[in-house]
Amino acid sequence: MLSQQIANGLFLGAVYALFAIGYTLVFGVLDILNLAHAAVFMAAAFVALVLNAAGVPLLAALLLAMFFAGMLGILVDRVAFAPLRRRNAGTLVPLISSIGVAIIIEATVRGVFGIDERHFPRTPAASVALHAGSITFTALDVAIFATALVLMAVLAYVMRATALGRNIRAVAEDRVAAALLGIDLERTIALTFFIASALGGAAGVLVGLQYDSVTTSMGSRIELRGLAVIILGGMGSITGAVIGGFILGAVETLSIAYVGSQWRDALAFGVMFLILILRPTGILGKRALRSA
Amino acid sequence: MRRVSSLLACAALLALVAPVMAATRGPAAGQTLKAGVIADVTGAAGVYGSVQRNAYELANEDIRSGLLDSGGVNLTFSVQDAATDANQVANLMQRFTTDGSAIILGPTLSAEAFKTDPIAVKANIPILATSNTADGITAQGPCVFRNSLSEAQVVPATVDKTAAMWKYKTAAIIYGDDNAFTKADYDIFKAALDKRNVKIVDVETFHTNDVDFQAQLTKIKSKSPDVIVNGSLFPEATKIINQAGKLGLKAHMMGGNGLNSPKMYEVAGPNAEGVVVGSAWFIGGQTGGNGTFVARYQKRFGSLPDQFAAQAYAAAQIIASLAREGNVTPAALCNGMKNLKTVQTVLGPYSFEPNRDARGAPVVLQIVKDGFASLK
Amino acid sequence: MLTFYAQHSKLIDQIGINALLALSLSVSLQAGQLALAQAAFMAVGAYTAAFLGAKAGWPLIGCALAGAALAALVAALLSFPIRRLRGVFLAIATIGFGEIIRIIINNLSITGGAEGFSGIPNDADTRWIYGSLAVVGAVFFLLRDSRFTLAMSLTREDEQAARGVGVDTAAVRLWTLVAGGAIAGLAGALYAHNNFFVQPGDFAFGRAEQILVYCVIGGTTSPIGAMLGAALLSLLPEIFRFLQDYRDIVNGGILLLVVLFAPRGISSLWRRA
Repeated sequence: MLSQQIANGLFLGAVYALFAIGYTLVFGVLDILNLAHAAVFMAAAFVALVLNAAGVPLLAALLLAMFFAGMLGILVDRVAFAPLRRRNAGTLVPLISSIGVAIIIEATVRGVFGIDERHFPRTPAASVALHAGSITFTALDVAIFATALVLMAVLAYVMRATALGRNIRAVAEDRVAAALLGIDLERTIALTFFIASALGGAAGVLVGLQYDSVTTSMGSRIELRGLAVIILGGMGSITGAVIGGFILGAVETLSIAYVGSQWRDALAFGVMFLILILRPTGILGKRALRSA
Repeated sequence: MRRVSSLLACAALLALVAPVMAATRGPAAGQTLKAGVIADVTGAAGVYGSVQRNAYELANEDIRSGLLDSGGVNLTFSVQDAATDANQVANLMQRFTTDGSAIILGPTLSAEAFKTDPIAVKANIPILATSNTADGITAQGPCVFRNSLSEAQVVPATVDKTAAMWKYKTAAIIYGDDNAFTKADYDIFKAALDKRNVKIVDVETFHTNDVDFQAQLTKIKSKSPDVIVNGSLFPEATKIINQAGKLGLKAHMMGGNGLNSPKMYEVAGPNAEGVVVGSAWFIGGQTGGNGTFVARYQKRFGSLPDQFAAQAYAAAQIIASLAREGNVTPAALCNGMKNLKTVQTVLGPYSFEPNRDARGAPVVLQIVKDGFASLK
Repeated sequence: MLTFYAQHSKLIDQIGINALLALSLSVSLQAGQLALAQAAFMAVGAYTAAFLGAKAGWPLIGCALAGAALAALVAALLSFPIRRLRGVFLAIATIGFGEIIRIIINNLSITGGAEGFSGIPNDADTRWIYGSLAVVGAVFFLLRDSRFTLAMSLTREDEQAARGVGVDTAAVRLWTLVAGGAIAGLAGALYAHNNFFVQPGDFAFGRAEQILVYCVIGGTTSPIGAMLGAALLSLLPEIFRFLQDYRDIVNGGILLLVVLFAPRGISSLWRRA
C-alpha cells in the first residue's frame, strides 16, 4: 500500500506545485501575494470546460485555457497592481486590491455558471485502471502528471536559458538595478504575470479533470494550500515551490493513510505554521524577513 | 365511421373535462393554503433539490388543472432555493413562519433539518420532510412529519438483499463524518453488518466537498474487503465510485439514500454499474397515479423522475388530500397528518407511523446503465 | 419605524457584529500588524458562548465575557510563536492559525464537529449588540489621545525608530493582538447568541478576508472608518440583492475603487474634506 500512497501523493503534489509556482513567481518579482491567482485558476477550468464541451479536443482546450489565464493575469496586474506600483504603495494595499479582483472574477463566473458542480465529458481514459507493479492508476492520471512535469520543465528552461528568464530573475533580484541595466520593467512584469497565471490556469484545468469536478469554489479550496506550499518551499523560489508542492502532497496523502483522514488539513497547515515559526524562509527561500 | 369518430371525440372531450370534473369542492373550498418549500435547488445537494422543485412545479400545474384534487382550496407550493447553505435554509425557515405559510416542506438535507426545524417548531408551523432520512428527525417536534423512509427502515433491507446476493464476510465503510445523514448511514450500516457477523475491516472518513479519496480508498484496498459501504451524498459518492474503479478496487459496493439518483451512472461512469442502493420508491409502480406521474414528469422535464421527485409529489398529494378535508391552518394540518387515513400516492398507499415517520416498504435497487434495476 | 426594524432586524444585527469585528482588526492594523486571525478568535468566542449558553445555561453577559476572555487567551498564546514575523509572513501565519483553529473545531465532538452547534439560546438582540459596540467604541474614544495609541502609531510607522525612542514594541504587538482577540471573541459570542446555530464554515478564511476588507475600505487606521466600512459592506449585498449572483461584483468593484483612489480608506476622504 505504501507505494500506491506515494504515487497518490505524487499525483496530488504535481498539481499543487504547478499552482504554487504562480504565487511564487509573482512574489519573487514584486514582493506581493497575488490573491487573485486562485480565481484565475478556477476561471481557466471553466473556460476549458466550455471549449471541451463544444467539441474542442482536451489538449487544445488546455492550451487555450492557459492562454486565457495568462491574459487574465496580465489584466489583473493592470487593474490591481500596476497603478499602485507607480504610487509606491507598499505591500498591504496590493494584497487588498488583488482580493477585490478575485471577488470580481469569482462573482462573474458564478453569475454565468451558477454554483453547481460541472463535469468534463467522460473519457474512457478516465475510468480504466492500469497497473504497474503494485500501483494502480489511469491513463488520465499519467497524462495529468506528465503535463504538469512538462510545464514545469518548460518553465525551468525559460527561466534558465532565455533572455526573458534572465530578465525576470534580474527584476526579482533588484528592480532598480534591472531598470538601470535597460530591462523593460513593465513588459517583464506583464510577462511574469502571463506565465504565472497560465501555469495556474493549467493547474485549474488539470484539477478539474483529475477530480471530475469544476465548481466556482475550487479556487478557495486550493488557495490556502498554495500558500502553505510556498511557505514550505520558500517564497520566491520556483524550485522551492515544486519541492514544497510534492512534500505537501505527500504529507496530506500519508497523513490520511497513517494518521486519519480528519486531520489531514490540520497537518498541512500545522506544517506551514511550524515552518513559519522555525524557518520562515522555508526550505529554499533566501529572502530575509521583511517589515510590513 | 363518423359515429366512431364522434364517439372518440366525446371520449376525448370527457377525458379532458374529467379531471376538472373530478376536482371536488371540500369544506374549505375557496380558501388559500400556502405551502412553503425549502429545497437545495442548487449547490452540493442540487441533484436532489432540483427534482424536488420539478415535482412541486408539476403539482402546482396539476392542482390548477384539477388533476390533483385540493377540494377547491387554492393550494400553492412556493419553492425557494437554499443553495445547500444552512444559513439560507435558516433564513427561509424563518421567513416561512412569518409570511402566512401554513406548512413547510423540506429542507432537503437531514443536516439542515436538525439545524433549522426548531425554528418552525417554535412557531408551531408543521413540517413535512420529503428527503430527510437520518434518525431523530420527527423527534424534534410534535408537528414534524416525514414521508421519506429513514435509513433505519431501508438499510436493513439493503443489507439483507446484498448479503444473500454477494455472500460477503468482510466489509469496509467510507462515510462523511461531518454530516448528520452520512453519519447515520455509518451507524445504521454498521449495526446491520454487525448483526450478520460481517467483519468490518476498515472505516474511512472524509469531509463534505472533498474531491480526492485516493488515500482512503487505497487504504481500503489494502484490507481487501468483500463489500464497501458508501455513506455519502451525491457529489462525493460519484467521485468515490469513480476513484475506487480507477484504483482497481474490486469489491462490491452498496450505499444509502444519497446514491439514489439516476444521475449516478451519468456522472460516476461505468464504475457505478452494480452498486446497490435501498430506496423508497420504484419507478414501475402503478398505484396512486404513479404511471401517469412518471409519464407527465418525463414529458414536462425531459427526464424520468427519481425517488426524490416522487416523494415530493407524494407530499403534494398528501397535503392536497388534507386540503380536501378542509384543513388549511397550521394546527388543522398538523392534526390532519396525525390522524391521516391512507392516501393514495405515487409511493403507494401512504400513511404515517405513530411517531410521524413514513410507513412503507423499501425497494432494493441496483445501478445500471439507464438508471436502476429493481432487485426482487 | 417599528415595521422597518422588524423586517430588517437581522441585517441591523449583522451590521453591529461586523462593526465589532472590524474594530477588532483595526486595533492590530493601527499597530501595523497584518494579523488576520480574527475569524479564529471569533470562533473561540462563539463556541464558548454557545456551549455555556446551551449546556450550562449561563446568562448572555456571562457567556459573552467568557467568550471574550477565552479568545483573548488564545490570542496571547498565538502572539508568542509569531513574535518575530512581519508583513506578509505574519499575514500568512495568522491565516494558517485561523485554519488550524477551524479544523480543530471541525473535528472535536464537543463543538458538534462540522455540523456545528445548535440550540443556542437566542438572547443577543439588537440592544445587546449595539450596547457592546457602544462600550467598545467608548473605550477607543477615551484612549484616542493616550500614550498607548501613540505607541501603536509609532510602531506602525517605523518599528525600529519606535524602539529607539523607548517604545516597547513587543508589548504593543502583544496587547493589540490580545485586545483585538477579546473584541473578536465578544463579537463571536454575540453572533452565536443571535443565530440559531454556528458551524465551522462560518469562521473560515473568507470571514477573515471580509473583515480585512471592511477595515481597508473604511480606513485602516481609523476605528470609525472600520465601523463605516463594516456598515457599508454589510448593506451593499442587501441593496444589490436584485443582482443575485453578480452582486459580489459590486463588492469587489468598490474594494478596487477605494484601494486605487482612496487607499487610506473612505474615512480619509471625509477627513481631508
